[in-house]
Amino acid sequence: MAKMMYREAVVSTIAAEMERDPSVVVLGEDVVGGMGTAGGPEAIGGIWSTSTGLFGKFGKDRVIDTPISESAIMGAAAGLALAGKRPIAELMFADFIGVSLDQIWNQIGKFRYMFGGKSKCPAVIRMAYGAGFNAAAQHSQSVHQILTGMPGLKVVMPSTPADVAGLLRQAIRDDDPVIFLEHKALYATSGEVPDGEHLVPFGHARIARAGEDVTIVATGMLLGFCEAVADKLAGEGIGCDVIDLRTTSPLDEEAILDSVEVTGRLVVVDEAPPRCGLATDICSLVANKAFASLKAPPQPVTPPHTPIPFAREMESAYLPSADKIEAAVRKLLDWR
Amino acid sequence: MADIRPFCMPKWGIEMTEGTVAEWMVAEGEAFHKGQTICLIETAKITNDVDAEFDAVLARILVPAGSDPAPVGALIGVFAEPGTDSAAIDAFIANFKPADTAVAAKGAGEKAKPATPAPAPAAATPRKIITNRPISPEALKLAEQADVDLAGIEGSGRGGRITYQDVDQARRPAARGPLRGTVPVEPESAVFASPLARRIAALHGVDLAGLSGTGARGRISKADVLALVPAPAPAAGGAIAAPFVPVDNRPTVVPFDRIRKVVAQRLTEAKQQIPHVYLRVSARADELAAMRKTANLILGCKASINDYVIKAAAMALARHPDVNVQVHGQEIHRFPHADIAIAVASPKGLVTPIVRQADRMRIDQIAGATRALIDKAAAGRLGFEDMDGGTFSVSNLGMMEIEDFAAIINPPQGAILAVGGITRQPVETAEGGIAFESRIAMTLSVDHRAIDGAAGAAFLATLKSLIEAPEGLFA
Repeated sequence: MAKMMYREAVVSTIAAEMERDPSVVVLGEDVVGGMGTAGGPEAIGGIWSTSTGLFGKFGKDRVIDTPISESAIMGAAAGLALAGKRPIAELMFADFIGVSLDQIWNQIGKFRYMFGGKSKCPAVIRMAYGAGFNAAAQHSQSVHQILTGMPGLKVVMPSTPADVAGLLRQAIRDDDPVIFLEHKALYATSGEVPDGEHLVPFGHARIARAGEDVTIVATGMLLGFCEAVADKLAGEGIGCDVIDLRTTSPLDEEAILDSVEVTGRLVVVDEAPPRCGLATDICSLVANKAFASLKAPPQPVTPPHTPIPFAREMESAYLPSADKIEAAVRKLLDWR
Repeated sequence: MADIRPFCMPKWGIEMTEGTVAEWMVAEGEAFHKGQTICLIETAKITNDVDAEFDAVLARILVPAGSDPAPVGALIGVFAEPGTDSAAIDAFIANFKPADTAVAAKGAGEKAKPATPAPAPAAATPRKIITNRPISPEALKLAEQADVDLAGIEGSGRGGRITYQDVDQARRPAARGPLRGTVPVEPESAVFASPLARRIAALHGVDLAGLSGTGARGRISKADVLALVPAPAPAAGGAIAAPFVPVDNRPTVVPFDRIRKVVAQRLTEAKQQIPHVYLRVSARADELAAMRKTANLILGCKASINDYVIKAAAMALARHPDVNVQVHGQEIHRFPHADIAIAVASPKGLVTPIVRQADRMRIDQIAGATRALIDKAAAGRLGFEDMDGGTFSVSNLGMMEIEDFAAIINPPQGAILAVGGITRQPVETAEGGIAFESRIAMTLSVDHRAIDGAAGAAFLATLKSLIEAPEGLFA
């Protein structure tokens, strides 16, 4: 076990996999971190410091700075993957996905299916998502609801350094394209990471807290709120089963349904807008397949259906919070 | 640590799930002595005093009189030694965890003990299911408890995994509500209104053309239309040709009270789940009426016709134990003696107190017992021991001039006798003429799962002979 930051878990896992497998390459804007500046490569570090030291270790053929063109980065990743490499393409802000959507959605996500399985596309597409930094409406979004709805892509949302290591290693080794979503607010958080080839299979949720009164499902940064609420309510004898989905595609339906079959109550917390999103998707799953167990209506906790505001006070009013989650739990417990 | 004791909602019988504190006889902070009544607690059917079992102070009242019902086992008050500090009591309340109420919670003065506890149906031991099909843990538990065969279930979970809901659906009876068919959809006209608003407009002859509503994007809503419906004009006095104008016929809403909820639930269950079969018979009552006058005089009692019917039914039941039964799941419990429940309309609703071992009572004892139960019911003071169990029911509406009716069985009892009033009926005499005699009509409802029609008929034949030859009642 080693204690490290979320961002360090990203770099160390990529480095370890590049050591192990020469076909793994990294590409993205400024992944070298200072190329073309007075200080030279690695002088500045990438925008999230998630590729620090890779250039020095693996050189320019495997750590590739790209032009500022998301279409080009994703197109290159698609070609590399088809040609036998295992590219890790960094998109920087998840909000920039729009201009590269054709490469991701219509090409990378569909190659294996449309070539009848004769080809595969093992690309990993990393991006930083999420709000909480007053980065306004174009640099704070959570895009997992769009990508989860695209068949052919796997979507991963780790919430701890250990899960970053385990899920990123799984993503790099996976033969399908994987969208790897890193929450900006978590980069500087620390935690224990198991040594060696720590692997977390996709589609296996993490039970962050066990309880028998209400099921709370969340991803990424929101787990912290959910755990705090669970710990607070445990003092009142209220048991919260907190489920960290880890991956939204594939989705661990069994973990959710098994929990709701015991608790009969569901709260789903999500940072993306409410319409046609992850929260509604899971509420619908439970309404569909655990109707017999429900004691109260499934309860989504999401932002309102608006762009993310810039002002500090408005952003905190917009985002899900521990108070909102607690209120949702109490509402379900008082449901008659 | 000061001696602080919880005072929880007591459990007075298997069916009691909640109770209401009707009145606190001791104020918060007041000391009480052993044997003193602390409070009155009402359940769906009874009111009972709770008496103290020791000396203490009622340190805290958590459920004031007249609050909503509290579940069995819930903390309703706290007893403590005099001088216990309030912080210790607060801490005690904060840390209190109600006991598992599956076992009868111990009340502070549990004195109401069921006189004859009905034997609970023996729970079948869950069958262990060994399967290699994917199934959730709760679903497997339910399948084992409810003995559901997994072979017939198609799992709705991922990869055919069986969920709790799949098993729950498999154990339910097939259901299909009545279908209502499709209705034609009217084309959207130039008017932008909700379907309900259109319907109301058509009903009241309101023209919606050109109207702008208050709904989203100017949609005309129900409220918009109702605002345009003219209030009915007062009828012109004396005009014969004035059209009939209906007045407002709004109902007074009376929500079910607790006792009505319980009665409604139990009767619905009984009528839906028990296969009733009805056997009708009538008996000549002239001899009984005459015998009643004489016997009441001799015994110095005021036994009613119904008391005599109870006595007759009880004696007949003792001779036909296959009708003197309770039905528990897959078991029939036969009783040697007849505990007869009598249906009484009390101010609180329909109650069924029990005359115990009526077959062993003299008629004056039965009259005393029914009088006491009816008085108690009228005062709302029937206790659990007055209502628990029963092997048979008698429901008499004769005094209300009902000639004949059929009653709903009162589970777990196997049968109920509905008794009508005495009527004068023409009968053919031995000489082929016509004479009038008093007759009493009775309908026996039996649970056909446990009692066959023939058994019910044999019982009725005995009952009829006892009524027509009432000297048998004093045998």
